[in-house]
Amino acid sequence: MDASMNEDWQDNARMIVESARAVVPADGALSRVRKARFNGLGFDPKVMQQAAELGWPLMWIGEEAGGLGLGLRETCALMEVLGRGLVPEPVLSTMMAGALLQEALPETVMTGEAVILTAWQDATGALTWQGGAEAGHLTGPKVNLRGAAGADLFAIVTGAGLAIVPRSAEGLNIETAETLDGGTMDRLHMTGVAADFLPCTQVDTVLQDATLAHSAYLLGLADRALEITLDYLRVRKQFDRPIGSFQALQHRATEMKIQLELTRAAIAATARRFDTGADVATRAAGAARCKLRAADLAMLVSREAVQMHGAMGITDEADIGLFVRKAMTEANLFGSPRQQRRLLATRLDQEEAA
Amino acid sequence: MTTLPDYNAMSDAEFRQTVRTFVETNYPDIPRYSLSRLHWDEVKPWYMVLSENGWICPTWPRDHGGMGLNAGKHLILIEEFERYGAARVNDIGPVMLGPLLLKHGTEAQKAHFLPRILSGEDVWAQGYSEPGAGSDLAAVRCEAVLDGEEWVINGQKTWCTLGMDANWIFILARTDKTVKKQAGISFLLVPMDAQGVTIRNIENLELEAEFCEVFFDDVRVPADHIVGHINDGWSVAKALLGHERVFIGAPRLSAAALSRLKRIAQHSGIWDDPVFQDRYVALQCDVLDLSDLFETFVDRLRDGREIGADVAMLKIFQSELYQRISELMMQVAEEDAGLRHAPEGDRQLHAAATYLSARPTTIFGGSTEIMRNVLAKAVLDLPA
Repeated sequence: MDASMNEDWQDNARMIVESARAVVPADGALSRVRKARFNGLGFDPKVMQQAAELGWPLMWIGEEAGGLGLGLRETCALMEVLGRGLVPEPVLSTMMAGALLQEALPETVMTGEAVILTAWQDATGALTWQGGAEAGHLTGPKVNLRGAAGADLFAIVTGAGLAIVPRSAEGLNIETAETLDGGTMDRLHMTGVAADFLPCTQVDTVLQDATLAHSAYLLGLADRALEITLDYLRVRKQFDRPIGSFQALQHRATEMKIQLELTRAAIAATARRFDTGADVATRAAGAARCKLRAADLAMLVSREAVQMHGAMGITDEADIGLFVRKAMTEANLFGSPRQQRRLLATRLDQEEAA
Repeated sequence: MTTLPDYNAMSDAEFRQTVRTFVETNYPDIPRYSLSRLHWDEVKPWYMVLSENGWICPTWPRDHGGMGLNAGKHLILIEEFERYGAARVNDIGPVMLGPLLLKHGTEAQKAHFLPRILSGEDVWAQGYSEPGAGSDLAAVRCEAVLDGEEWVINGQKTWCTLGMDANWIFILARTDKTVKKQAGISFLLVPMDAQGVTIRNIENLELEAEFCEVFFDDVRVPADHIVGHINDGWSVAKALLGHERVFIGAPRLSAAALSRLKRIAQHSGIWDDPVFQDRYVALQCDVLDLSDLFETFVDRLRDGREIGADVAMLKIFQSELYQRISELMMQVAEEDAGLRHAPEGDRQLHAAATYLSARPTTIFGGSTEIMRNVLAKAVLDLPA
């Protein structure tokens, strides 16, 4: 890779992060996010429209197919900003649909007329996606979608291929549960839903990309939560001094910073490897390692943030609470730390064999 | 009211059975095993049952309407109530103000206020913390000035647990700004319906209004609504009963959370996973060892010995253990960890409820950081 390519991705990343300002206020205000909670959807359809106008669903579609053709470094830069702003819109799910469908992504999605969400997971606590197809129809569950009520279309990932189905499809039922962050977690029940299956060979690749991108979202969340907490440590006075002057808190704050920078470095390096042609084994291990640390980081920082905010930390009116509830909601998506460790453990023998 | 038997004379087993029968027979049709506090309109039937049977103030002396329980018997009562999942009543009157009035109140104050706590006529709130006075409680600024025969109160209190349910509040008010901050505080009693009192509810992380702020704007109360001497409020307030400080470190919360953790692990299909078991067993040992440490403090209470600053160890370890169990719960709940309501309607499986309810335990009643400071100085004798 020459230097100019290196600059290319940085320019692209800068531009896409700049474009995110349309959705994430530069001053970190969370009033929009707060307002979108518990509205039945958990997000604002107008922002999904904006995301489409910014081309985000086309992020992982090749330029030859009319997409942006951007890599994981650009994606992670964007996702980090979205995480900092606790953006609740299911942007990543539409990116995944674009990546899976490529030129088959419906025109209406490209123009922002329609929202498409990806349904891949077969069961809670498992990272399998091969279920859902039977005798040329869609049958069975797909779990843990977010904001399904806001989708016009679903990209259903199955072992028999990909299917695009409208939310109103015959035989498709959606079971919705409210999440802590004010959104929803949804389960699709499919019984003999008619579908055309498109071949798709890169589900695992897209899932790894998404896992890494989601890790970047959690990194952004933790980064902003730590900033807010450090600000509080600087201004909150007890015993006639800022509480940030107490070593007990300083040491814990530095521990968070160390964890944050480990996560940031791991994600940046893994994204670079993804973009420069990592092999299958490196990809799988890299995504798992980043997701594992990012999830633990988001939980650690949000938990410590509450403690350091004292009683303010356990109120809903303080913004830090939004980070806590978001971390609790998102940390285990794309595989909990436990699942990632299990995945990495299964690789140990393969490494030895190699 | 009929005369109560001498419970302290019963054997522990006999008393335990008495309590068990009492709660099973008398507990009203209200929620059990609630992780969040119930409000007065919900929990009042239970308060009234306790009140009518003379059981609402277990530690008060019998001649003041209490059960006169010693520490050992009181612990059994608490254990049996919690075993049944009985809701915690609005207990600031019975637990905090009552004992405090018995020690520092005038005869007139005792005669007026104690019966009204016993009957449930008065529900009390605690007004200690302020926005600028949390861990540094002695920094209270809410001010009371004597104007003839009345105190005139201006300022703000916050984090008043279930304060919206109360008709009275006791506060720490600044009555002398010219002296060392602990030496200029007085302990005052204020009716919530007094002119100039307003409250604002605060929603917690579970989106429930469990506490409130209370604002005082030229609120006037009679001069005799002070407990103890003027400027002596700090020592009045600090006189919390020794055994309450012990009981806050009881292992029950953690033990109950551990059994929910097991349920969640079974639900997730990882109960047999050796990695999980390694962590589970470590937590289980923590709960058991905490129980043993707790018992050493209870033994001290039973023997009538003093409880020292080292009791802070109990609260620190118990609250952090409860949190660590809740953290593992969140991990093994997989994607269900993010659900706002119990998965499949089964509250035992709701990791988030435990995780959120565990957060305040290291903040309220003396933050873990302050408790560690106390331990370091008072127990380890380290320099300031």
